[in-house]
Amino acid sequence: MSQHDRDLERRARELYLRASRDVDPATAGRLRAARRTALAAPHESPARRLMLPAGAFAVVALASLMLWQPGVTPPSAPPAVTQSADTEATDLPPDPDSTDPALYQNLQFYSWLAYNDTQPSAAHK
Amino acid sequence: MEHEDANTDEAKSAVNGSLALDSASLDDVREVPANMDAFLAAIERRAWRMAEIHLGNREDGMDAVQDAMLRLVRHYADKPPGEWTPLFWGILRRRIVDLQRRRKVRSIIVGWIGGGRDDDGDELPAWEPADDSPDPSARLQDSQAYGDIVVAVRKLPQRQREAFTLRIMEGLDVAETAAVMGCSDGSVKTHLSRAMHSLRDQLEAWR
Repeated sequence: MSQHDRDLERRARELYLRASRDVDPATAGRLRAARRTALAAPHESPARRLMLPAGAFAVVALASLMLWQPGVTPPSAPPAVTQSADTEATDLPPDPDSTDPALYQNLQFYSWLAYNDTQPSAAHK
Repeated sequence: MEHEDANTDEAKSAVNGSLALDSASLDDVREVPANMDAFLAAIERRAWRMAEIHLGNREDGMDAVQDAMLRLVRHYADKPPGEWTPLFWGILRRRIVDLQRRRKVRSIIVGWIGGGRDDDGDELPAWEPADDSPDPSARLQDSQAYGDIVVAVRKLPQRQREAFTLRIMEGLDVAETAAVMGCSDGSVKTHLSRAMHSLRDQLEAWR
């Protein structure tokens, strides 16, 4: 570093500090007022600073819990599946609106088949 | 990506040389304050000068300092007094950058709504807030010299300007300057080296 650089730094710093000391009274008064306003402002305590992230975490955790419930069937399950399960459980005749029409066309064949299944020995004779 | 390794030797030389600053005035600036009131009272005028250098406008500088003081008291009053100095300058630096960005956006909007060209179709200068106060140099005994350094510093790129004003004018050490600027020590040295190179050319008359 040259002497010129050192002189430049020293002079720049002196001028800056002198300019800061020689601020006009009006500006100095405004700075004092700004300082008083700042000091009168409520301080944010460390506990309060932690409340925002803690609250955000609680909201996210609650939302996650509501969306993810293991072992519970979603209420919007497909109706066809529910109906099929009900049909198997109750042994009622199939709903004509949701059953294959071919089943009704061959109804006599299925009846015969069911009869043979219940009486295997008679069918073999 | 900043070229932190560039000119390393020159940068180190510049930084080491800057330690030759006037130690008496440095002590005045770096006293650990007794309380927040004393801290702000000691720093408020320099902060305003610093903001004025960066923003080129007294009122914007006042706004920046007011906001920085408010934020320091509100959020960091419970920190140890020894940490207030870098915290305050960091807050003020971010506030200055915010104001510069807002000013740029206002210039763009003024350009969009037709304020960017006059009746002859010539481009008007970018919008700047009115500053009807006298030039800072008019109030100073060394007005011409201070005006010269302010003009030269304002011509520097932003990061070089920050490094020079914080490290040389305000007298923060390299680590503090790096913390305030949000970069590495090496980056500060590089920015400072380039700033000194540019100022040497601009202030040739000071030789």
